[in-house]
Amino acid sequence: MKLALLILEDERPVREALRRDLSTFARHVRIEEAEDVPTALEVIEEIDAAGDRLALVMADHRLPGTTGVDFLIGLAADARAVATRKVLVTGQADQDDTIRAINEAGLDRYVAKPWQADALRNLVRDQLTEFVLAAGVDPLPHLAVLDTERALPIVGERGDL
Amino acid sequence: MTEVFHRGGHEGTGAGDPRAPLCVLVVAPEPLASSIAEEVARGLTDIAEVVCADNVAAACAQSSAHPDRVVPLVLMTASPASPGSPDSIDTRIATLDARPVLRRARVLLLTDRAFHDDLSLSVDRHRLHAVIRIPCSPGVLAWHARAQAVRWLSAHRRTDPRTRALVATDGRPVAQPESDLLRLLELETQEVATQLLAGIERVLGPRPRLLLPPGTHLIHEGVDVDAVLVVLRGRVALDHASAAGDLRLHHDSTGSVVGLLSLAQQQRAFFTARATTEVEVVHLSFEQLDRALAVDASLGAAMAAVSIRALAKRLRRADQLQVEKTQLNQVLEGERRQLSDALHQLEQARLDLVEQARYATLGEMAAGIAHELNNPVAAMLRATTYVGEDLERVLASHPQGRLASEIFTAERDRAPRTTREERAARRRLEAVLGDVALAQRLFDAGIEDPDRASALAADPPSLDLAEAVAGIGSAVRNLEVASRRMCELVTSLRAYARPKGEPVSGVDLHAGLEDTLRLMAYRLRDVEIERRYGDLPPLRCHPGELEQLWTNLLVNARDALGDGSKDHGRITLITDAPDATRVRVQILDKGRGIDPEILPRVFEPRFTTKQGAVRYGLGLGLAIARRIVDAHGGSIELRSRPGCTRVTVMLPVAGPPDDEDIET
Repeated sequence: MKLALLILEDERPVREALRRDLSTFARHVRIEEAEDVPTALEVIEEIDAAGDRLALVMADHRLPGTTGVDFLIGLAADARAVATRKVLVTGQADQDDTIRAINEAGLDRYVAKPWQADALRNLVRDQLTEFVLAAGVDPLPHLAVLDTERALPIVGERGDL
Repeated sequence: MTEVFHRGGHEGTGAGDPRAPLCVLVVAPEPLASSIAEEVARGLTDIAEVVCADNVAAACAQSSAHPDRVVPLVLMTASPASPGSPDSIDTRIATLDARPVLRRARVLLLTDRAFHDDLSLSVDRHRLHAVIRIPCSPGVLAWHARAQAVRWLSAHRRTDPRTRALVATDGRPVAQPESDLLRLLELETQEVATQLLAGIERVLGPRPRLLLPPGTHLIHEGVDVDAVLVVLRGRVALDHASAAGDLRLHHDSTGSVVGLLSLAQQQRAFFTARATTEVEVVHLSFEQLDRALAVDASLGAAMAAVSIRALAKRLRRADQLQVEKTQLNQVLEGERRQLSDALHQLEQARLDLVEQARYATLGEMAAGIAHELNNPVAAMLRATTYVGEDLERVLASHPQGRLASEIFTAERDRAPRTTREERAARRRLEAVLGDVALAQRLFDAGIEDPDRASALAADPPSLDLAEAVAGIGSAVRNLEVASRRMCELVTSLRAYARPKGEPVSGVDLHAGLEDTLRLMAYRLRDVEIERRYGDLPPLRCHPGELEQLWTNLLVNARDALGDGSKDHGRITLITDAPDATRVRVQILDKGRGIDPEILPRVFEPRFTTKQGAVRYGLGLGLAIARRIVDAHGGSIELRSRPGCTRVTVMLPVAGPPDDEDIET
């Protein structure tokens, strides 16, 4: 089982920049991309079918025909993505959208464009760790991409592992 | 029960033929009726005949039987009855009133009862003219009947010779009041004052006439009054000092007696009395007045008459002032409302101006920013190209130069694919290599050919190189795309925020539309824009103004589509040139449309269909649009129904008629 990370962004340069900044995770985490919501749903379907876990979604705010907020709200009701961490990546969210995202989509974090690569990687590491802890996933196979200081004590406490 | 109440007093139905005989009706049981009729007839010998009826029903029957008879007066005896009973005074008078000929008759009630509670309706309707206690002194009934008949004649038969004989020219009965007071009250004020003075002079001897110039104060407000002044000639003003200045309460002329009101209560003067013309007065101290009244009691009536007249006059004046005050208050209230409306509108106008100023400032700022961005963007775009060129040269010197160069170029020039296609290609690679992570690396390096992928997978140094140059390639490509986009945006922004000035010739209207669409892309992102561009001649215009026009119209169209773009909104832009001198731009949306009731108002300034606070550029949208179009010598038209709103703008190719400055 692998942890999966989905980048939902319709502009190729931005998508590629995100992927490249996160390439250090690529060896251990399944990184998927989608340029619109239907593709994103296909990807989620594939991840689920392969037995992997969708750990993190980074959705752009402006998407063709919809918004990242709406997508994340829809995702919050999806049984396959209950524990999935949800991050909004945006250059321009007005306050209403942000509030809605937090209240209705269970938005976990908010990334403003342009971003700093280090901060982005820290955020992803942090969110993956949160997912592992919250979803009760065994952290051991994924330690390379997790915050080990937080993940290891869990491993110690769980005698059954 | 609603009945229209007619107050008697005018010629009309019921008064009958002016030459018809008059007939006074006595409604009473016999033998009382006969004795009453006999006595009444003595008072009416030269005016009317007297007829008896047992009861009201009989009276009505008689009036039907003799429709030519005119009845000026009904004398009716009361019977013991309670209110509402068929025999109550109210019921009986109402029964009489059912006959038109009786409706105008004056009604005298003859009663032996000490108490009546059955005539409130009749009093309320002014249908009871006198109540006479019977039995009464001989002659009283005749006198009453005559007086009432004369009153009736003076009201209804003014031109009848019989009336003229009985009634004075001023319409009042000839019969003079017997009492001093009532007689005096009928005289002119001046005459009563003269009579009063004459009486006083009979007692006190001739009084000196005091001649006073205009402006003389006769009475000072707040000072004790111990005398009255009989004004024989001239005018006197009564003023009262108040917080709002001196109030002119009264302006009396000859005949008034100044100081009466204060004297009556022996108090300080409420007024200042001042002569406004030369006045001739007689000064009478309280003691002199007192002595005159004590000696000649008949002076009391004159004094009372003078007082009543003066007080009545002032009371009337006070009432009139009260009415005026109420009317003024209403006017004031109306003006206050108007002022409040005007204030509200001013405040709105101020807000609009602030909005406009903000818009203008934003425009200036945008122009400045666009200008400042131009250089860095140009540098970036050029630098990207140089980096590409230089890299190719550097790579050529690399041992694996051919491979690196090929991968770099392929990655830099790679055509966009959907994420779905990319994913499928990656899966194919994964299937061949059997290693997901490795497949990902190779795919990211732009290697999709299975054989080549296998070869590179077996050669880690080459794979590292391939990854690196692919990364550079895609970075250079993204840099190029990004800086080109910024370049376009800066160009659009500069065109949009172009400073005002002379109209520009040879403007491509489509380019302006496209600039606007590009700048508004963030707002129109979820809207499908359909372009149906025709061939347009170059235009002479203020391009920046036109772009603001398109912005306003597009914002409106976008807002009309509503939020929540579940159903893909679409805005259609149609351009054409209906003739050689004009171009036409139509903007259609499939939104909810505009309510027909407010459609005529949408071009008014400050009119908005959008709820809530003033928002940037909104509310002024169509008003500004119209101003821009007008300034260009064009026309703008809006048609709307639910599901289709179409704005049509016509612009002359030759540009604004005169180069007047457009104020927006």
